[in-house]
Amino acid sequence: MRRFGLPLVALALVVVVLVAASAGLAAYPDRPVKLIVPWAAGGDTDAIFRPFGPQLQKHLGATIVIANVTGASGTVGAREAKNSPPDGYTVYATHDYIHSTYYTGVSDVSYKDFEPVCTVSATPSVLTASPKTKWTSWQELLGDAKARPGQITVGATLGSTSHFFPALIEKSAGIKLKYVSYEGLAPRMNAILGGHIDLTDSNLTQKGKVDAGQLKFIAIATEKRLPQAPSVPTLKELGVDVVYAVTRGLVVPKGTPADAVAKLETACAKATAEPKFAEDMAKQGTAVRFLDRKAYAEFLKRNDQLNHDLARDLGLLKR
Amino acid sequence: MFGYLLASLAEIVRPAYLLPLSIGTLAGMIGGSLPGVTITMTIILVLPFTFALDPLQGLAAMTGVYVGGSAGGLVTACLLGIPGTPSAIATTFDGFPMARKGEPGRAVWLGTWASVFGGLLGAAFLIGATGPLAAFALEFGPWEYFSLFIFALSMVAGLTEASLLKGLLSGAIGLIVTVIGSDPIMAVPRLTLGTEFLRSGFQFLPVLIGIFAFAQIMTDLERMGGNVAPPRVEAPSLAVSHLSVIREILSRPFLLLWSTLIGVWIGVLPAIGGSAANVMAYDQAKKFSKRPEKFGTGIPEGVIASESSNNANVGGSLVTIMAFGIPGDAVTAVMLGAMIIHGIQPGPLFISQEPRVAYGIFAAYLVAHPVMLVLQWLGARFYLRVVQVPKSVLIPVVLVLCTVGAYALNNIIENVYVLLIFGVLGYLLVKFRFPLAPLILGVILGDQIEVNLVRALMTDADPWLFLTRPLSGGMLLASVASVGLALWQHRRQQRMGAAAQAGAPDTDF
Amino acid sequence: MISRDGIAGLVCLVASLGLLALTRGMPKPALVPIGPAFYPRILFVVTAVLSLALVVTDLARRRRPAVPPVRYRLVLLAFVIFGAYVFLLPWLGYRVATFLFVAGLQTALEWPRLRWARGLSVALATTLVTYYVFEVYLSVLLPRGRLTGF
Repeated sequence: MRRFGLPLVALALVVVVLVAASAGLAAYPDRPVKLIVPWAAGGDTDAIFRPFGPQLQKHLGATIVIANVTGASGTVGAREAKNSPPDGYTVYATHDYIHSTYYTGVSDVSYKDFEPVCTVSATPSVLTASPKTKWTSWQELLGDAKARPGQITVGATLGSTSHFFPALIEKSAGIKLKYVSYEGLAPRMNAILGGHIDLTDSNLTQKGKVDAGQLKFIAIATEKRLPQAPSVPTLKELGVDVVYAVTRGLVVPKGTPADAVAKLETACAKATAEPKFAEDMAKQGTAVRFLDRKAYAEFLKRNDQLNHDLARDLGLLKR
Repeated sequence: MFGYLLASLAEIVRPAYLLPLSIGTLAGMIGGSLPGVTITMTIILVLPFTFALDPLQGLAAMTGVYVGGSAGGLVTACLLGIPGTPSAIATTFDGFPMARKGEPGRAVWLGTWASVFGGLLGAAFLIGATGPLAAFALEFGPWEYFSLFIFALSMVAGLTEASLLKGLLSGAIGLIVTVIGSDPIMAVPRLTLGTEFLRSGFQFLPVLIGIFAFAQIMTDLERMGGNVAPPRVEAPSLAVSHLSVIREILSRPFLLLWSTLIGVWIGVLPAIGGSAANVMAYDQAKKFSKRPEKFGTGIPEGVIASESSNNANVGGSLVTIMAFGIPGDAVTAVMLGAMIIHGIQPGPLFISQEPRVAYGIFAAYLVAHPVMLVLQWLGARFYLRVVQVPKSVLIPVVLVLCTVGAYALNNIIENVYVLLIFGVLGYLLVKFRFPLAPLILGVILGDQIEVNLVRALMTDADPWLFLTRPLSGGMLLASVASVGLALWQHRRQQRMGAAAQAGAPDTDF
Repeated sequence: MISRDGIAGLVCLVASLGLLALTRGMPKPALVPIGPAFYPRILFVVTAVLSLALVVTDLARRRRPAVPPVRYRLVLLAFVIFGAYVFLLPWLGYRVATFLFVAGLQTALEWPRLRWARGLSVALATTLVTYYVFEVYLSVLLPRGRLTGF
């Protein structure tokens, strides 16, 4: 038995050296790129980046590995992305929560820790009511809210987009709502179907339940009515000046080489232009929305200020 | 409903799903045969392999492990007298004597066919009851969920064989684990000592893997020393007339039904696992039998009761997890973790929102039984040989898989540190004879208990609603009653003679 | 005399009181009726009471179950080797660290009757099979070494 020992050690060493040699330096991208999605597989964000991954892979010419780095309202993933080496092999899939969680003190990661690459999609928010409420329209809801200030319950992830959207409506319509913490769309749907909360923020993916009479769409936060849901009025036409969508995009850690960012941006532009991707997004109640890195940078800056003001108005501002 | 089921069955038998299901079943049967590797461990080890699969493929594999594991334990139980998993303990009582009397084939196949019948009856219950229970669960507000979780915890703590105090304390330690890190509402850091590492809290899967894997492996190591080689066993011939075995089972319809019902009921109750079901079913079979004195001498009733109940138990725990989102035992706790990783939130809406996955799990559970039958037929003799893999080879490999599982969960090295920390903790707890089941349930339910408490108070500031809402109040009352009952039982046992407790085995998880 | 139940109770008691002290000074957030310290405090008080009860019942008990002697050498060794593995993983990378770990732990468990060929081939097989299954087939990226870049 003993005489087999040495050859095996030698064999192991050879394998080790060979694999090490193959991992040498070459032009970007020469190894798999990790796409950090800070929420669980199957969530809204994951549902958008899963079909996006293969498209990006096709145009970037490198394997895209989606890593769901979950926990603490998406801040674990944000932190992991921030601390990753800025070499272009770690890309972070983010949305507007990056501003709101920063200002409400949930997270210590700011959009300034990253270089923008591109935006991918925009999902308009829909104000949704429980089937157990008696309202059939915004006017009835408004009347009831004025009659019972602070009594109507809204399920929301506190300090995140699902909280800020109803808060904008609250401010614009001059009403007062009561927030109850329900993190994630699935628990909110459980609660609203059981009538344990009255209102929540959702999106067009829930249209099936509305058609089945299990939910009521009150209004959508777009500029114009959408062809997928022509009967849902916009908040604007109801006299509430709120347009709100969750914009998802790609960023990389600050200090990533410019040529890597440029390659990612080009690949992203081509990937978002794929008709297959648009088709997948339509199923998610989402519009494809591409902005290049310059436009995304401006968007982030504007959005950041907006979120800062909102957090201040809500009394949630921590920095 | 049957339309969905048929469609799902048609989908599950496609290679894309049948393959993971069969591999899972095989893994379960092997893990089940290995003494010292429980079904929980096997599921933990298989889980990382399913991360990259589509959710239904992954869950089909896990269901296969669960079903295969419940059946796999019976081969070693009958032929060697060693239960491969705790859920085959009662199978040894009559299966082993039967095999020694020269009927090893009859023992193994009685067990296997009883597993199949028990499992299929359990499946009928699973498919029939999940929908109505889910509709009922939708009525649960935060008050009811809070009380339900408290009830589940107190019941598990009360059921532990060691002391009631230690059961409750173990549950409390589990809850404490979930308190560390960002709070679940506004993510205020709690008890983090200012460290980044603690700020994200402990993910429950690495905690679970650490506690279970190390508690088990390290207790194995204590007994190892001296490098004892496992006994060489010659696999006997298992040839038997299947028709006569099936007739033997079906000629006892009452026994089969009653054992199945016990299995299902134990499965539905939160956090009592298959290890309780088979012993209880055996006990009941003995009580109702016309010839109780023959039990333990190798009669078929004992094998049938034990094996039909432990497979039916799987169906029962799947009901609880799918309708309420609460794990029935440690195995389903890992299943729940697996579902969440695959982006599926079990709960009242699960069936209506994800019919494809829900009915897919039903179908996988149904199909896993014939698959198990085929695998048993092909490989029963082989599983016997698996027992002979030396521990010194098995343990390092198992630990590597645990590490990969913890890391791959969300690709951060911190989870591997968590694995080590809780490995040490789990081992210490076993050494101090704390039951692990309440701890695990505490870790799983901790966040939910707090979140529902806060939600209830945010919806309505009146704290008395926990008691005045009938369902919620009833469940809180039931928790107090279950702790009281356990206390009374322990007292009575102590008076009846504490001496018998001294020889209790060291592993009580 | 105190037995292991009592010791466990004392440890839990001290830990829960220590943790209770740590809950001081947590901010009271807007919007939420109870602060982040409310629930943990209840929990720590309950734990402290349970631990105290455990210590008291232990002291009051006369008969004690005998503890069978256990050999802890291998357990300790296994924990140390696993600890080293966890520590070295980010530095050496998955493949190198795992190979060393499997070979090392096997050696420790089989000592002094070593079977080199089996040990090394199991280590090599475990490393390569898990690596290829996860990285290539399941596309889960395993840790790269900071020192080795591999």
